Amino acid sequence: MKLVPIPSDKFEDYRTDAIFDCYKWDPQFLDSNTLARYVLVITEDECQEIAKLTEALDLETREAENFLNNHLKLAKPLRLPKKIYNELKMMNNYDENRHIRLMRYDFHPTIEDTWAVSEVNSDVPGGFAEASLLPELAIKTLNNKNYYSINFGDILAHTLARKIKEKGTIMFVHCTSYSDDRQVMQYIGDKMESLGFKSLYGAVDHLKFENKEAISVLDGYEGKVDCIFRFTPLEWLKDIKPKTWGGYFNTITPSCNHPIAIFAQTKRFPLIWENLEKNGIKLDAWKRLLPDTIEVKKAKDKKDYIYKPACGRVGEKIAIKEACSNDEYKEILKDVKRHPNNYLAQKKFISRPLKGINNEEFHVCLGSYTVDGRHAGFYARISEKNRIDSDAKDIPVVIERSKKND
Amino acid sequence: MTNKEVYKIWAPSGCDWTDWVRPVPFIGINEHLNYHEVIDYTIPKINYIKEKMNDTALIIDTQGVNSIKEGIALAKLGYRPIPIFNGTNPPINTKSTTNNLIIEPLLIWGALELKNIKIENDASPVFLLDSNRLNRYKSSRGIFDNSWDIYPQDIPSKEYLVKKGIKKIIIRGEKLNSDLSKVLYKYQKDIKILFTDGFDDPKEIKIPKLKETN
Repeated sequence: MKLVPIPSDKFEDYRTDAIFDCYKWDPQFLDSNTLARYVLVITEDECQEIAKLTEALDLETREAENFLNNHLKLAKPLRLPKKIYNELKMMNNYDENRHIRLMRYDFHPTIEDTWAVSEVNSDVPGGFAEASLLPELAIKTLNNKNYYSINFGDILAHTLARKIKEKGTIMFVHCTSYSDDRQVMQYIGDKMESLGFKSLYGAVDHLKFENKEAISVLDGYEGKVDCIFRFTPLEWLKDIKPKTWGGYFNTITPSCNHPIAIFAQTKRFPLIWENLEKNGIKLDAWKRLLPDTIEVKKAKDKKDYIYKPACGRVGEKIAIKEACSNDEYKEILKDVKRHPNNYLAQKKFISRPLKGINNEEFHVCLGSYTVDGRHAGFYARISEKNRIDSDAKDIPVVIERSKKND
Repeated sequence: MTNKEVYKIWAPSGCDWTDWVRPVPFIGINEHLNYHEVIDYTIPKINYIKEKMNDTALIIDTQGVNSIKEGIALAKLGYRPIPIFNGTNPPINTKSTTNNLIIEPLLIWGALELKNIKIENDASPVFLLDSNRLNRYKSSRGIFDNSWDIYPQDIPSKEYLVKKGIKKIIIRGEKLNSDLSKVLYKYQKDIKILFTDGFDDPKEIKIPKLKETN
């Protein structure tokens, strides 16, 4: 994999086109542009290798979550929020053939020339347009016929279309006050409209449930919906707790994602692998790719372990000393000490940075999607720090045709 | 004008501060959208400052329509207006808590005005907010809540402002709203914060620490 720069005289137009043609409505975060000045170019061999690893991880994840759903006692060490326990029992009618399972696995190149996986975004992975339209814009900007990309949105939309009633109505459930949530929903919503579906945009409390079916109460659009596409994270949903929230857990309306996603969403998921394996669940791919993960108290005397919050997002509150300010690092360690069960310890991997045109170094997080078990594309971010957090930049991923296929 | 053309007038390349222009209200602009007949497009007179001050940034936190008009008035004094509106629109025919749509024709009007105003590339910024963003009242569950808040990531950091020579921020509004208070609380250590209701001269204020709710 390598970084190829967007020519500086083309970058302003690239940014404007990304905003207006690629649903990139949040191009600035504090003092930083959120769009990288590079394109991430991977080889066809790398693409195939990651796709294969992603599908292997996904198979294991789905088997594990199905098993846990039927053996909730085994999920206890995950320490899922207490507010959610009663609802988890309602998921016993879960049928994976009815719902759409979307996940994104975060890969990092390491100095040992291997891949490390840092986590799976199991519940509400985002970055849809960045994984679909941005690579196409990048290829057009670079004008290189040797590059091609995977359109994640096409794969997701056609999978949704196969599981929803023809011309059906989809409710895109998100935090309606956040434009950065809406941009994700609007992209896939527009895509579904182009396939003949009706897209509604609402909040978690714009759905009620009757006979386990989802009904919209959104003003002007009251009535049955044929699919729930949820972008409000489960742990927020439990705090908002709309009156009929239990319905999300046992609905027979096709859902993407169904709340079964909670088991793998918590970063404490690896802490129950031993028990899962004793019950015949294979986790070989996970064990090969995820660095050793243990309880906080067991890491006390171990070197080179970092702390991660169980419910963290976008790299928040991950204690990597060199990537945090002094104050931030101390603050996280204080919180780890106070609430060890809300964290986990993970062996630190050494990321292999890629070089930019001026020899500057960038760490890469290459997110690899699956939709219903099949690899569905890439979403990547780069950062000068070895923690990929809100300071990281979105970078389109393109694939370079190998010469043997010419 | 297309949405891209309107945006590029508000956020021209190579100028300070324009990277912070929020694209959200520009996305819905299309060539069929034009002036709103009922809106009064009179540019207001600015009483609270007499001239451009290179060490001063402004934040206009009034109703969106007035905020844009005041932004244009300040552009005539030499400031760079930076709209940071971030509210989305509800589905068609759905009642919502906040009217973000009304911003769009004003941005077109503002772009036409800006075309005729010469602003220096390094002009001090005037950030434009809509105080209606905090309208959260829902008379029924079906209403679409498109209220929004301003967050620290939406404006330049204190360090960036100081680096650019900004020593004062004047907030112009009916009151100091709580989301803006949270954002600016940490700024006051190194930057003087002043407030004006638009009539009186700006007066220095101390922002008390507010409890985080998120």
